[in-house]
Amino acid sequence: MALASVEGLTFSYPEASEPALVDVSLRLHPGEVVALLGPSGSGKTTLLRALAGLVPHFHGGRFAGRVEVAGLDTRRARPAELAGTAAVVFQDPEDQIVMAVARNEVAFGLENLGVTPREIWPRVDEALAAVGALHLAERRTAELSGGELQRVCLASALALRPQLLLLDEPTSQLDPEGADEFLAHVARLEGATILSEQRTGRVLELAERVLFVEGGRLLCDAPRSEALDWLAKHRPRYLPPRLASPGLPNDAEIVCRLAGVSFAYQAAIPVLEDVSLEVRRGEVVVLEGPNGCGKTTLAKVAAGLLEPDAGTVLRSGRAGYLSQDPGRYLIRDRVLAEVALGVEGDEARAREALARVGLEWAADRHPRDLSSGERERLGLAAVAVADPDLLVLDEPTRGIDPDRKAAIATWLSDYAASGRAVLVATHDRTFPADRRISLQPEVLLAA
Amino acid sequence: MRVGSGRGAVALAPVPAAALLGAAAVAALLLDHLAPLAALTAALVALCLQAPRPRLVPYLFGTGSAALGVFLLWPFLQTTGIHVLWEGPVVPVLGVLDITREEIVLAGVYALRLAAVGLAFSAYALLLDHDRLVAAASFARRSALAVALATRLVPTLERDAAGLAEAVRGRGLEVTGVRGRARLLSPLVAGSLERAANLAEAMEARGFGSRKPSRAPGPAWGNADRLALALGGLLISAAVLWL
Repeated sequence: MALASVEGLTFSYPEASEPALVDVSLRLHPGEVVALLGPSGSGKTTLLRALAGLVPHFHGGRFAGRVEVAGLDTRRARPAELAGTAAVVFQDPEDQIVMAVARNEVAFGLENLGVTPREIWPRVDEALAAVGALHLAERRTAELSGGELQRVCLASALALRPQLLLLDEPTSQLDPEGADEFLAHVARLEGATILSEQRTGRVLELAERVLFVEGGRLLCDAPRSEALDWLAKHRPRYLPPRLASPGLPNDAEIVCRLAGVSFAYQAAIPVLEDVSLEVRRGEVVVLEGPNGCGKTTLAKVAAGLLEPDAGTVLRSGRAGYLSQDPGRYLIRDRVLAEVALGVEGDEARAREALARVGLEWAADRHPRDLSSGERERLGLAAVAVADPDLLVLDEPTRGIDPDRKAAIATWLSDYAASGRAVLVATHDRTFPADRRISLQPEVLLAA
Repeated sequence: MRVGSGRGAVALAPVPAAALLGAAAVAALLLDHLAPLAALTAALVALCLQAPRPRLVPYLFGTGSAALGVFLLWPFLQTTGIHVLWEGPVVPVLGVLDITREEIVLAGVYALRLAAVGLAFSAYALLLDHDRLVAAASFARRSALAVALATRLVPTLERDAAGLAEAVRGRGLEVTGVRGRARLLSPLVAGSLERAANLAEAMEARGFGSRKPSRAPGPAWGNADRLALALGGLLISAAVLWL
């Protein structure tokens, strides 16, 4: 018997001109691990919300069709009633944390469900232990890293002992090791799991079944082996990519040189110590390393946003910097105006920049109406529009689907080839680059 | 909240700890003598020093600078006492600018009162488990949670403001002057509203608003908790009756 069923679901958000989901039907069975793939804004998150009852109850909108989870019709059962049956972990952990201490955060859902008081703390500890986060129990949530927070969020969902676990890009803030560890925890779970992801490699290894959504329609619903064939034929970029080979040595002009740079946000806790780095015209350089190793700090120093405590930074020309999660930092109420801001209102150049990231259609939309992946691309257009000599990007592919990522990588490569340079701080080991630099907590190794 | 350090440390449940800190603040407002105020302030400083240093510094700086400001300005704003230590010029509106021994004592009392109240709040903000305090609220629990969430929003807003300014600088634009900063206010508010909506969705998905919530059991009150409550009562009584 199916644990959850979706029949002919068509849904539109309030004031949206196009439906987010169109005639979607599927059945989920106990114990299944299902990968949910598709481009940014294709309806993946909406489908997860529908299974949790958040669509239509929380968001409103037009809802046709039927969704049942464990025998409960989501049109009649409110999300609070479904909470013990279906649990969701959203993409951004910072937007889900309610309590100040990790242990209390995990207990929050149990208290809401009315779990017997004496059962609460044992279940909290069990859930934290299941995701390898028992040591974080007494830590303040404000002091946890993104990866640690994501584990606490997963523990909060697991503590509810849901029959259906809905994970919306849960590894987007984790380094590759952290993501592997997180997915290993997911693999050990009982009950059905739907895992929406843009980093498809690990998910395709884990899932038994694959759903592919595009334009709100379910284009593929098949066991993994069949789905891999379908992807190979129709959407090859969603298959695990191979690492790009390193480029040839480059003797072009140096755009940015860091020599013996040290930096600390707090005295006695250095983030960078005696780091040296060169970026030359014509190359795309990737900075990689685990969470907390100083990639972002180094990128900011290279872009001139931070002054080092020691060492020298030399730049030839102007630098532009795209921060992590740029979708949060949009300031205009129209996409075109947002991009034109960087070129003194030149809308023609802004339109060109939007076209390069595939957002020309959104020129007159409000930036906050875009999906998270679309906002990332808007942030990229807003920085690149001024054609800086050094383009510094911090996690530019987070939440971006493989097709768009490939397009952006090609565009960045062309951008560098036109005589400028690109420095990318990323967890994404598949991001194509001419040179990769591995930044470890205390050592910088040039590959 | 933990009081003391090492093996002698005593952990207090959030309610007695909050009651003790509240009593300390009330006692500070009632006390009129320098010595007991100084002792109370010193005890609160020692308590606050148990907080992690990076979080503690802004609280200590804010409280210390406000108290120092009161101590330095008060003698010039009052005309009290007969033991003149220094006589200055006549200033229009303020009158004779002099300092007396009595004014210095009063300035010390007011500065220490302010410091003690500020330190009691710092200890409340830095050392208490607010989650359990909210959970212990026997009525208006949702309102208590809303207040706790709003309190936590302040540092988040600070981070968002810094991120916004940095993102704008990264695009080659400088944020200068009141007008430049004011332009960032609207996106900052929009961002925090969006964050609040996301949080509300996540809370609903975790059953917030269900009809029969339960409460995780808090730590049982021990002798230290009872002692803390008694000490709080004693502090206020002593301040009212003798000091």
